[in-house]
Amino acid sequence: MYVRALPTTDVNRNTEWFTYPGVWTTYILILFFSWLLVLSVFHCSPGMAWTIVHLAHFAVTYHSFHWKKGTPFGDDQGIYNRLTWWEQIDNGKQLTRNRKFLTVVPIVLYLIASHTTDYQHPMLFLNTLAVFVMVVAKFPHMHKVRIFGINGDQ
Amino acid sequence: MITIPYLTAVSTYFSYGLLFAFGQLRDYSRRIFDWWSTNNLHGYAPICLAHEDFYIRRLYHRIQDCFGRPISSAPDAWVDVVERFSNDNNKTLKRTTKSTRCLNLGSYNYLGFGSYDEYCTPLVIDSLKKFSPSTCSSRVDAGTTSVHAELEECVAKYVGKPAAIVTGMGYATNSAIIPVLIGKGGLIISDSLNHTSIVNGARGSGATIRVFQHNSKAILMLLHFPPPAHLERVLKEQIAEGQPRTHRPWKKIMVVVEGIYSMEGEICQLPEIVSICKKYKAYVYLDEAHSIGAIGKTGRGVCELLGVDTADVDIMMGTFTKSFGSCGGYIAGSKDLIQYLKYHCPAHLYATSISTPSAQQIISAITVILGEDGSNRGAQKLARIRENSNFFRAELQKMGFEVLGDNDSPVMPIMLYNPAKIPAFSRECLRENVAVVVVGFPATPLLLARARICISASHSREDLIKALQVISKAGDLTGIKYFPAAPKKQEEVKDTIKLD
Repeated sequence: MYVRALPTTDVNRNTEWFTYPGVWTTYILILFFSWLLVLSVFHCSPGMAWTIVHLAHFAVTYHSFHWKKGTPFGDDQGIYNRLTWWEQIDNGKQLTRNRKFLTVVPIVLYLIASHTTDYQHPMLFLNTLAVFVMVVAKFPHMHKVRIFGINGDQ
Repeated sequence: MITIPYLTAVSTYFSYGLLFAFGQLRDYSRRIFDWWSTNNLHGYAPICLAHEDFYIRRLYHRIQDCFGRPISSAPDAWVDVVERFSNDNNKTLKRTTKSTRCLNLGSYNYLGFGSYDEYCTPLVIDSLKKFSPSTCSSRVDAGTTSVHAELEECVAKYVGKPAAIVTGMGYATNSAIIPVLIGKGGLIISDSLNHTSIVNGARGSGATIRVFQHNSKAILMLLHFPPPAHLERVLKEQIAEGQPRTHRPWKKIMVVVEGIYSMEGEICQLPEIVSICKKYKAYVYLDEAHSIGAIGKTGRGVCELLGVDTADVDIMMGTFTKSFGSCGGYIAGSKDLIQYLKYHCPAHLYATSISTPSAQQIISAITVILGEDGSNRGAQKLARIRENSNFFRAELQKMGFEVLGDNDSPVMPIMLYNPAKIPAFSRECLRENVAVVVVGFPATPLLLARARICISASHSREDLIKALQVISKAGDLTGIKYFPAAPKKQEEVKDTIKLD
């Protein structure tokens, strides 16, 4: 089964890869396979495994989307050094399809995790905290906002 | 226009994810390790920010032996590649004194002027003895010799424009001239696949930059749109909106395209672009780095191939490194434009002028191409490169490889996609004595890593057949034959029994 890769107009090589076909499927497949991995390694209940996947997903995506600034190569001479990856994608345009997808995924993960653990504490508290931080960080109003100067520039 | 198998796309993203994850883990453990050891910075700031060279340190260095291979002979059809070894897993590479003779599929040696030529080289050696290797001066001080003047006339006549200016470096031609032509208040509309030199020149100019989608012929046939739709839309929008914030009309609008795109091997749609620019009164800047001397009946580039009048293209730029076997670049345009550039362009006023023997090489190469040296070697070379490219491309496509590029283009990228196949293909080919160039992220998009083959007029049919065998074997081992191979029609006819 073949897909067509249409050339994009995004000049930022750090975010351009997200516009090609297959990214969303890869993202969902990675989450699913990591759930299977956690289940087989820790021998825990499925709900616990989903909680672990949700919290690990929160840690990894918060760090790479909302904490790390700039690009991993020097070719663009640092013009994106003040922007996190989330602020760079789609050239800063808000509410595009990619951004909506990336906002929905942690919410769906939260619903699955809390449903499969039967809404018990302390998993519910941790999951809710994680999804709250994730979704607020992705609001259009939070574009280029640094609360209390956390992660601001020197 | 690239067709990817879906599974390959998913596995490529996964591979890059894994590589990045391992790279981050190693960075963290390195940072914990270094916490205990003292740092030797003595109060100085580190040279680069920690994240900026992440890609180079953790991904590029692992496969460093596939890039930057030193050669020890002229870049002819066969070249001596120096062997290197590494004791610390490719972090540092040490050269040996041995070299292997490999078939050269990586040099931009389109017309075969990259090595000894019976007409050009004696003239160049004479010029070297008469003038010396360097002019040791900029053009305006003492760096203009009779050869330079002859070169500029020769280039202008060859390209089909009234006048030309020549600089000593091809990359600097773009990055130094674009800021002179357009400045703040102007608009540069550049193709999404343009070369870094154009991007740097555009960024350095201070003008507003907008990118339009590269429309290749295949997409257009698929979408039934009048070409190039995106360029026209961008032009309309930008002219209607005007400059950002003040909304005043733009001072100047320039559309920058290339003749052959070196990463895709595709030829741009010049007639359509020129007609759109005429309609909206924008200037056309054509970068013919890879197409001058390589395509067209007499080698005059993409204008000749597509039947565009050179008077319609305002600024024609090109380099001498590809088809002419020399160095440097040129800009050809109207007499007023070239006069203005000679007074304002820093590459002309301050940079050392092009070395005189190199200028002589260009003049001799153009003489051979035009047949003015009395033989028909030029026409033979042009016919041979066209034959070679079409034969090679057809054979590769028959084997099932995904090859980009239009017919007649001597550049053919073979798609690899997965990051692991980049070093695998390169090393496997080198083991069989074929030297290829592989390109990955960030020179190409993340998903679309490729091996770029450049065909030369000095490749003989046997060379190409050997190359095809080696590439087919390497392709089977690495699994890059993404399309089904065409069935061999001859054998089917032989197997049938003749019924009388």
